[in-house]
Amino acid sequence: MSSIVLQQAINGIVVGSLYVLVALGLTLIYGVLVQINFAHADIVTLGAFAAYGVTHLLSGNYLAGIAAALGLGAALGWLINAGIFVPLRERGSELLPLIATIGVSIMLQNAMLALLGPIPYAFDTPYSNQVIRLGTLFLTVQNVLIILVSGVSIALLYGFMKFTFLGKALRAVSQDRETAGLMGINPGHLIMLTFVIASALAGLSGAMLGPVLVLTPFAGTSVIVKAFAIVIIGGFGNVEGTILAGLLVGLIESYTTQFLDPGLIDIVVFALLLLTLAVRPTGLIAERREENV
Amino acid sequence: MTSLLQTQALELAYGQVPACRDISINVNDGEIVTLIGANGAGKTTILRAIAGALPPRSGTIRFAGKDITALPSHERTNLGIALVPEGRRVFPFLTVRENLELGGFKFRKEHARVRDRMQAMFGMFPRLRDRAAQNAGTLSGGEQQMLALARAMMSEPRLLCLDEPSLGLAPLVVRDIFQTITAINARGTAVLLVEQNARYALQVARRGYVLQTGSIATSGPCSELRSDLRVQEAYLGRGAASAGAAAP
Ligand SMILES: Nc1ncnc2c1ncn2[C@@H]1O[C@H](COP(=O)(O)OP(=O)(O)O)[C@@H](O)[C@H]1O
Ligand SMILES: [Mg+2]
Repeated sequence: MSSIVLQQAINGIVVGSLYVLVALGLTLIYGVLVQINFAHADIVTLGAFAAYGVTHLLSGNYLAGIAAALGLGAALGWLINAGIFVPLRERGSELLPLIATIGVSIMLQNAMLALLGPIPYAFDTPYSNQVIRLGTLFLTVQNVLIILVSGVSIALLYGFMKFTFLGKALRAVSQDRETAGLMGINPGHLIMLTFVIASALAGLSGAMLGPVLVLTPFAGTSVIVKAFAIVIIGGFGNVEGTILAGLLVGLIESYTTQFLDPGLIDIVVFALLLLTLAVRPTGLIAERREENV
Repeated sequence: MTSLLQTQALELAYGQVPACRDISINVNDGEIVTLIGANGAGKTTILRAIAGALPPRSGTIRFAGKDITALPSHERTNLGIALVPEGRRVFPFLTVRENLELGGFKFRKEHARVRDRMQAMFGMFPRLRDRAAQNAGTLSGGEQQMLALARAMMSEPRLLCLDEPSLGLAPLVVRDIFQTITAINARGTAVLLVEQNARYALQVARRGYVLQTGSIATSGPCSELRSDLRVQEAYLGRGAASAGAAAP
């Protein structure tokens, strides 16, 4: 019994850490811009397909696939900001970029559907079938890789925000953009940097999720719904809260699958969301710090 | 003395609503100039235009011989303009130390310079050293004003603009702040001081401009402004009971 609990904890952390990567991107962009990029989900999907393609092309080099997804994500982030958010910023309505990204998302999904078809792809990496046994527990090397890569990415991002000049400038922009400008910070540059980082993380998580998920042109959409819930549970724009909420949702998901019914996952997650909104509207880690980022 | 900052016939507006017109002011290298006026007269609007946060509708701004009218805020900071904004606007969820570091953002590639500069600021404001690791949002009003001032000085500006540094502070703290401003000026930084507290401002500054509902009503040496009947009535609380009267 207790080994099942432990086994599911590992599975929960694997899935949860990927949710964290997706949700952190949403949170970062919301933090600096108070905007939502609805095409974030499709960057996850495109990252998964890019990793799939490159891995197959290079006869099983999954690590190169991960790198490709990261790069593609970064490029898409740059494009979406330069093509949508920057030109629409001066147009007044805050709804415009939101609606435009919904449009981009629909376009990308249909393009992928036309190109790749609706039938799920079997994305097996060389690591999917290598199993490590620890007593009664077992882990695929793929899962170890997922925990490692997302752990390192999250730690790097955290260190960047806490200890570098640019990271501090990014937090300043999200707290008070006009005053950040007075410091000699170019807010436009930091907003671009945020898009690139957020989207690179989305591409990366796509590459890691691809082998775990049902890989179709709608793969990212199934993840993004939970990522939104995580962003809200963690307190909009709060990095630490997002990390905690992501792991929590991952654990809830794996325990619900084990002890209740996989069909109940969304119900349990959104019950938690409603409970958070009712009890702590500013998120898990809140109190005095409704800090953006 | 050479002119450091010169605005010429500035016209400023928020959307379609005009706020200030025909604003021509001049600040020479190394001097303290004050801009006084009642609440709503347009003082903050003018400082925001000088700092680059509000593009003027017409007119020009020159700084150190260069036309900076079209430059964004962050580039003006790099040229040597610093603004302590109204309401201090410290970054509440960054520590005191991080706030100061960002004040020195333009020197970010020279770590030693930022560190030395921060030590100098801690020397000037020992309270900030004690609070270095605290979030700026937890400081008292007076401490936040000191932090905002120190943060602006981190960029080694040639012109320091201050927007009502005395607002909401206890008289003792106000005296401290004004002494610090005088000391900063004595070391060569030109100061443009915006105040509602005209009594203090006219004591510290050499020259002044009096703003009335969006345009300059009078200007001159502070000694003359102090004895100017209109200024006395409107801002020094003598005569008519119109002190601090709000503009329409
Ligand atoms: N953000 C804004 N949007 C629209 N009008 C504004 C804004 N800020 C100030 N104003 C208007 O501009 C005028 C000057 O305001 P301000 O520069 O803040 O005056 P002061 O700093 O002298 O008190 C006022 O009539 C004020 O209502
Ligand atoms: Mg004002």
